[in-house]
Amino acid sequence: MKKLLALTLALLMVLSLCVTASADEPTKLTLILRDGTYADVIEECLPAFEEEHNVTCEIQRLSESDLYTGIALDAINPEGTYDLCMVDGSWMAEFTENGVLADLTELGYELDEDVIPATTTICYVDDELYLAPYYGNVTVLMYNKANVEAAGYKPEDIQSLEDILDICQQAKEAGNKGFIYRGDTQNNLVVDFLPILLSYGGWVIDENNQPTVDTDEFKAAMQCYLDLIATGDAEVKDDLIASVDTGAGTMGIGWPGWYTPTADSPADYIALSGAAADGAEKFNSNVYGIWTIGVPANSTHKELAVELLSYLMDADVQKSTVPSGGVPCRYSSLQDEEVLATYPQYEVVCAALESGMYRPVIAEWTEFYTILGTEMDNIINGIKDIDTGLADAQAALEDLMG
Amino acid sequence: MRDHQTAVLRPGHMQSRRFGIKMLTPTMVVLLVMTAYPLFFTLYYSFTDYNLLKQLHKPATFIALENYTDLVKNEYFRQAVWNTVRFTVLAVVFEMIIGFAMALLVHSLKRGQKVMRILLLLPYLLPTVTVALSWRMMLSPNYGIVNQVLQSLHLPVYNWFSDIKTAFGMLVLIDVWQSSPFVFLLLYAALQSVPQSQYEAARIDGANAFKTLFYVTIPNIKNSLALCALLRTIDSFRLFDKVNLLTGGGPANSTATITQYLYNFGISSLNFGFGSAGAIIMTVLVLFLSSFYIKRAMG
Repeated sequence: MKKLLALTLALLMVLSLCVTASADEPTKLTLILRDGTYADVIEECLPAFEEEHNVTCEIQRLSESDLYTGIALDAINPEGTYDLCMVDGSWMAEFTENGVLADLTELGYELDEDVIPATTTICYVDDELYLAPYYGNVTVLMYNKANVEAAGYKPEDIQSLEDILDICQQAKEAGNKGFIYRGDTQNNLVVDFLPILLSYGGWVIDENNQPTVDTDEFKAAMQCYLDLIATGDAEVKDDLIASVDTGAGTMGIGWPGWYTPTADSPADYIALSGAAADGAEKFNSNVYGIWTIGVPANSTHKELAVELLSYLMDADVQKSTVPSGGVPCRYSSLQDEEVLATYPQYEVVCAALESGMYRPVIAEWTEFYTILGTEMDNIINGIKDIDTGLADAQAALEDLMG
Repeated sequence: MRDHQTAVLRPGHMQSRRFGIKMLTPTMVVLLVMTAYPLFFTLYYSFTDYNLLKQLHKPATFIALENYTDLVKNEYFRQAVWNTVRFTVLAVVFEMIIGFAMALLVHSLKRGQKVMRILLLLPYLLPTVTVALSWRMMLSPNYGIVNQVLQSLHLPVYNWFSDIKTAFGMLVLIDVWQSSPFVFLLLYAALQSVPQSQYEAARIDGANAFKTLFYVTIPNIKNSLALCALLRTIDSFRLFDKVNLLTGGGPANSTATITQYLYNFGISSLNFGFGSAGAIIMTVLVLFLSSFYIKRAMG
């Protein structure tokens, strides 16, 4: 009898210990993020949140294409693996159309007025908020200071694509590469080209989401792009940065997240003027590559995930990420005197973010850029001429967009 | 008498058949779950417009052979098939020649066979991602050692993976560099089994090295040669990781293989129906290529 009593007591004690342990066990939140500075700055902010809310955060860092596939594959499960996801603006239409993201307005989250308004345009569907703009990536023109100076230009003198072409041609004559473009994937090729296209007043779709790639503006922009890349080379991202940094290359379209210029650094960046030629009409030519954050609709910890999202979007928390390469979409960070004293380039970024363009918000964007990028690649490599390549792209895109 | 014997043997025979079936069952179940089930669903989806995300709201619809006709009509798919065949032929031929030469060389060594074996196998032991990234660094137009050496010798330099003239050749070169050791390993093992007496007889008959190779060595290892060629053909035909990491199928689709095409136009946009049709076509092509060996192996 005594033995039975002792055994029961021991069992009860073990059970109570297990219950206590499980009650105190921190909740696990899983974040799926774009690898690089984008995930780094989030990761460094997490310890304070984890401590305050008794949670542990696990991060999955993925490349852009793997991130897209990872979120989509998890979306078909009734109970999702991820609680917070990083989303490229161009996936927004497809994700919201198919119910991948949770309605943040419904969950009680709203963006404040400090967030640059233009960056929030794709975050809403029918006044309901689905995403928060976290990392202010916007296309900029990266250049090598010495090569630009050797061509007789100062950064403020670069007023049009004509000036850029002139600098790149001079650089080529001097034995360096001129314009470096990213020709490794269809997506990179299209995104690299979009600021040039915008400077000619063109765009890839019209207001009815029908393709507009076989137009005079597109052809003129394509010819300009061919002239530019004739001065340089196709390189992958790391090579492009290395080229411009060492001076082996002169210019290229880049993103603030790639490079942190200082007063002594050999390279810097400026926003494109948006004019094709000197004295020509200036268009808005800054293309957003903003990384937004949202909560998957099938997250099992939605409330906690929204708390994490609010914390990460907090003005002070965002400002604290600046020294590590964070680019918040907030005036309080980008116009802060202290920040600008150390990182003067944020003035350029802020101006570009105020007037940027998102890539088309269409559910077919992945297929769209694959088709367009393939035809552009053919034109660049001389397989097709501009007229044939763009006519083929137009036909295939019309077929896609119905 | 014979009927009586059969009647006596039948219970034992039945028992041994049942035992055989029981022993095969776990393997059959694993094969059905891991191979037949996915293959069946790939085949099923290839006749539908299944898109992973759109599937959340509307079920996939049956579109018969539309995915197949779209694929066959698509000029980029046809180019991808041609690239794949070209790549397979070039890679397998070079891998077989180099791997066989390596095996003969190491087999002929009197000393140091073990060290050579390990050194020659190293490229094959490396993960493909590491191989691809190492080659990308070596062939980088900025800091790559290859261009630096060429420059120092006053030779022309190239942007190896972005130049339409060099990208395809570079992929073949890297695959040959990594996979020749596999051929070497299999053929080296086969060379060990060639009876020494045949070499001695050939020597006594006055056969030179060339004749010994063609009349003694090769006939003795022809099954291993065929197996090697088959395995390399199947593997080369499915090439994806190197292409995806190094060129993404470009420039101008010059390096796009079937798998890369399916990834770009099917999988990355989550059009699994379209991707499945391509996968089925690829499976049929690989089966066709393998059929010669399978037919031979089954007698």
